Amino acid sequence: MVAMTYARRHGLSPLGVGIGLRRSFYEELPRTHRTLDWVEIIPENFLSLGGRSQRALDACAERWPVLPHGVGLDIGGPDALDEDYVTGLAALVKRVDAPFFSDHLCYSRLGGVYLHDLLPLPFTEAVVEHVVPRVREVVARVGRPFLLENPSYYANMPGGTLSEADFLRNVVEEADCGLLLDVNNVYVNARNHGYDARAFVDALPLERVVQIHLAGHTTYPDVIIDTHGDRVCDDVWSLYRYVLARTGPVSTLIEWDQDIPSMEAVLDEADLARAALREGAGR
Amino acid sequence: MKPSLKHFFDSMGSYLARPGDESLQRLYSAHPEWRAPSTRVSIYGDFVRGHIRTAVEKLFPLLRGAVGAETWNALVEDYTLTRPARHHEVNRVGEGFPAFIADAVSSRGLPPYAPALARFEWSDFAVFASQAAAPEPVERLTPNPTLVVLEQPFRICAWVRARGQGVTREPEAGDELALLWRHPELLVTYYQEATPPALLVLKMAVEGLSAPEVAAATGMPEADILDAVARLSRDGLVLAPPA
Repeated sequence: MVAMTYARRHGLSPLGVGIGLRRSFYEELPRTHRTLDWVEIIPENFLSLGGRSQRALDACAERWPVLPHGVGLDIGGPDALDEDYVTGLAALVKRVDAPFFSDHLCYSRLGGVYLHDLLPLPFTEAVVEHVVPRVREVVARVGRPFLLENPSYYANMPGGTLSEADFLRNVVEEADCGLLLDVNNVYVNARNHGYDARAFVDALPLERVVQIHLAGHTTYPDVIIDTHGDRVCDDVWSLYRYVLARTGPVSTLIEWDQDIPSMEAVLDEADLARAALREGAGR
Repeated sequence: MKPSLKHFFDSMGSYLARPGDESLQRLYSAHPEWRAPSTRVSIYGDFVRGHIRTAVEKLFPLLRGAVGAETWNALVEDYTLTRPARHHEVNRVGEGFPAFIADAVSSRGLPPYAPALARFEWSDFAVFASQAAAPEPVERLTPNPTLVVLEQPFRICAWVRARGQGVTREPEAGDELALLWRHPELLVTYYQEATPPALLVLKMAVEGLSAPEVAAATGMPEADILDAVARLSRDGLVLAPPA
């Protein structure tokens, strides 16, 4: 088992299992009697929207740690970082007193236009050189530990010279940030690109993993899409246990963003993750 | 940024601005060594375009139903080409849609009430998501800070209300002052035409007039004024101090 160097260095302890604060849960989640250890929010849903989203956020923040997980930081894009966004994000992180925050290693804006998607970058040293100072700038401005998530991708981008694992390692090590390991993304990428998911995990800087995402996906004849629209499949649960055996307990999120079922069903998935965490701790 | 990376972003930017077969071919031409299956790369074009469509369709369901599927699809396709996503919050793509619809009425043969309906639907969302916080508690009668007033040449409020009751005729032409606000407790959008009692109560809130003063000035029974204040306070159009 590897030491969780990044987490320890920043005084971060495993938080248990969380679920996302989605619109359909705004009224119900703050009142739940079920076990829940923390809540994830997508900051874009709270930075400029008032009313119900703010009331739900305040109610959740009174009960649980809240972790912002962004989709619009555009850490890999060619545009300068969005001043308003980063300023708002820093204020939100402070407001909920998040122990850390995260976004994806991707780009999401071109020429001032938000693409509202997580687009893959070429696995090159040029991208590493481009991303690293941007990560450092974000960390300096927000003032909390920052994690980058390994995104799913359906096509290798042109000009790649690094393996995916080396690309991730180079970015997080040179930027000195944490890694949010999306286990479903590892599975989806491994299936879509024909590599061994466990070997990929073994090649990652696991000492930087501070959080894990688990989600469902949708299988089509020629591609698997990371839809976050289903239960976590058995193979992903198995890969999750494989990761935990190497990292020890890690804060884990059940992500469910499409075809969202009842909150109880999502919390049932969270219970399964909590059991796996306990099982891993008992080894 | 290295030139090779700038080239990558420029080529992806051209493709994603107008995803399609031709732009995909140009993208591959820009990277002759690229062997990724085009069916995989085009997923991103479909996603990026789809996010705009999904957001606009969620924000303007009544307009969508009013213009029909074929016209709607063409409208959204052309609106997407204007690159409306300039804000990190995806729903903001709808902000420019009413103006786009207003420009398109004659050229596309849209119903004349389409711009008014688009403004109404955008305002419905904007009020729902308003960042204006209700002062709590208020010391005197106060207009709801999320209130939006729309001056419209069609009776959109009556049409939306009738539609909810199963009536499907088109909105009637006629001046309307539509009031939209977020209920301070339920946090959902309320709307109504600006009736004389609603305007009177708003005037009382804005100018700090009491019921006896209004009764004296207008000759209205004070009880009727107090009833209107109580009813519109319950609806949240105005915020009343604690009893």
